Amino acid sequence: MKRKTIWRNTGLFFLFAGPSLFAFTVVFLIPFLVGFYLTLTKWDVIRNDGSFVGFVNYAEVFRDKAFWTQLWFTIRYVFFTVIVSNLLAIAIALALTSGIKGERWLRAGYFTPNLIGGIVLGYLWQSLFSRVLPYLGEKYGWPLFQTSWLTNTDKAFWALVIATSWQFAGYLMIIYIAGFTGVPKDIVEAAKIDGAGNFAVLRKIVLRLAVPAIVVCVFLSLSRSFLTYDLNLSLTKGGPFHSTELATYYIVQMAFQSNQYGIGQAEAIVLFVVVAVIALTQSYLLKKLEVES
Amino acid sequence: MKSRKRFTVLAVCLVLLACLLAGCSGGSGGNTGGNADGASGGGSGASTSAPSSSGKQIKITFFNTSAEVNEVFEKLFAKYHEVNPNVTVELIPTPIGGAQIEIFQSRLASGNPPTISNLDPSHIYVYRDKFLDLEPVRAKYEELTLPGAVEGGILDGKFLGIPWTAQGYGLLYNKRALEEALGGPFDPSTIRTRDALKELLDKVQAAMGVPPVMIHGADWSLGAHYLGALGFSLQSRDANENLKYWEDVKAGRAKLADNAVFNGLLDTFDMLKEYNYRKNDPLVANYELDGQDFAKGNAAFYFMGDWLWAVIGSMEGRDSEFGVLPVPISNNPDDYGNGQVAFSHPKLFAVDNSGARPEEQQAALEFLEWMLTSEEGQKAIVEEMGLTMPYKNVKATSSNAIAKAIGEYVEKGETINIGVINYFPTDYWAKTGASMQKYLAGAIDRNQLFQEVQAYWESVQ
Repeated sequence: MKRKTIWRNTGLFFLFAGPSLFAFTVVFLIPFLVGFYLTLTKWDVIRNDGSFVGFVNYAEVFRDKAFWTQLWFTIRYVFFTVIVSNLLAIAIALALTSGIKGERWLRAGYFTPNLIGGIVLGYLWQSLFSRVLPYLGEKYGWPLFQTSWLTNTDKAFWALVIATSWQFAGYLMIIYIAGFTGVPKDIVEAAKIDGAGNFAVLRKIVLRLAVPAIVVCVFLSLSRSFLTYDLNLSLTKGGPFHSTELATYYIVQMAFQSNQYGIGQAEAIVLFVVVAVIALTQSYLLKKLEVES
Repeated sequence: MKSRKRFTVLAVCLVLLACLLAGCSGGSGGNTGGNADGASGGGSGASTSAPSSSGKQIKITFFNTSAEVNEVFEKLFAKYHEVNPNVTVELIPTPIGGAQIEIFQSRLASGNPPTISNLDPSHIYVYRDKFLDLEPVRAKYEELTLPGAVEGGILDGKFLGIPWTAQGYGLLYNKRALEEALGGPFDPSTIRTRDALKELLDKVQAAMGVPPVMIHGADWSLGAHYLGALGFSLQSRDANENLKYWEDVKAGRAKLADNAVFNGLLDTFDMLKEYNYRKNDPLVANYELDGQDFAKGNAAFYFMGDWLWAVIGSMEGRDSEFGVLPVPISNNPDDYGNGQVAFSHPKLFAVDNSGARPEEQQAALEFLEWMLTSEEGQKAIVEEMGLTMPYKNVKATSSNAIAKAIGEYVEKGETINIGVINYFPTDYWAKTGASMQKYLAGAIDRNQLFQEVQAYWESVQ
């Protein structure tokens, strides 16, 4: 009898988890393992020579100063993107749960940037930064916009942050709205009776109870912005002079343009480790803030 | 009843899972089949060459990096299929200015290489072991093409690519804008030194009220066309000397900072920078906008080539006459480069020898010959693509006014052979172009520029 239950349970498990497990293995796990194996060889398209070289590629990664510069650039980019996009999303979510007119339409409107692919979005912002804003800057004498933001390293950095945050904010907004509407009304009411102002309610009650939503949102925005590629390609193309290449972009250039597949793939593994460590630490730390209502 | 329902659900899920598995294994099965075919075809391809006129259906693929003319090629393929119902040519398109060579690499790595590839010579050189040696048809193409064209397809001593287009570049000028600024006709042969060019630019700037030279701030223009190609090709009129000098630079035996040509080139660049129409924001590099400002005469000069016609040819309200000046690198009018413009065969047709069967190779060669010699093919290339064909008796006339201007230099033999760049690694323009962009924007000085570029070349194996 017991044996039968186990058998049935595994059967049920595979019934429901099987398809996604299979997909996960085929499109993620196997490529990942093969990719890791590639870093231990000196394979490239031209020679097709897959002989084993050990950790030579990793030593090369540690000698590649440009990679570390761009990785640091990426970390700064992720830091600001996570902050800006989450603050923006919280602000929009608060506004759209306060009961203003046309809430549904506005929600749909803020969500739309997420439905536009990164490439299209990048071109859109590119023409905004390099054509529209300089034109307006020239016309009204705003020194900030007189030259294109995309030709200056620092401004191009902020252009990337702004465009990415604009895209993410709508998506995160949905999660925050769900988190905020899940806050029990009685607690909020009780706090108000106790004399808490709007800001105190927000800080001490709503945000505290919405920590699970914050954890999810920070994790999502963090991992997504670490892996930004399409927007980088279409917005700045890594320019001016390779100063705004995010880590993923740098890796693709290394593998396909400089024909250094082993090193490129090894850098991808390093990036994976960095992202995994940062993402897991932050969700562990934030989880500690969770409270029960 | 309940158990039957559960059974139905289970069955549906299992069927779905099975479909997934089947779909996947089916795909990989097809792939390995292609692989095996490819390997055996490649093996016999070297020894025998079977005729293709067996009445069997043959499908060949065409990988195209001239992405802006994808449609013209597709029309040609359809026409060829009408004439030759046995052969179907399928286009493998690439995005304009996007990930082109990546697509080629993945086809190659998956054992599914394109039969014909339209590639830059430098890429053919990198993958030289994968392509068919075209020695058997070399004599035929030497007969068909203009002198020098076949040499453009010889890489590492082997004829690997059939040249089909030629292009040149230099300091283009808008004839109407220039002559209006000068108040009279302009004779391009008077500009053979840097000082003469400076005098001209001064006059034009005074008359037009704006800096008259458009410098396109993209890495490919600055790194490849200006610094890389001109710098290494102007070392000597002998292409082998240029290659030797490049080897010396890579080995660290020669320093760019001590080289007269590179310094002269940058002296001229410094001067052009003074007259840059985009001085305020030099790195915007908007190809359409820059072309438009030049074609309409807002900027009288533009460091660019005849490929610009693809952008300005169909533009409304543009001027109609354009000319080209050499980029003078010194004040001695007889120096090499002061009276010549760069001219090259930028794209070649190469035939695969790593996966294609002999009958496919044969069909590919027959198709290429048809495309390059028939009236339909030549009309499509010259009239619809707006390109120059380095062939004798071309049965079509081009509307490309810039190519016509460059043709005058070609006729006189006043061209710079930039063949040395075919041996450069495929990332050189992006790497050295970034240094040139910094220099153009004033972020580094000449010493730092030379240091960065020299360091790049010395890092190349």
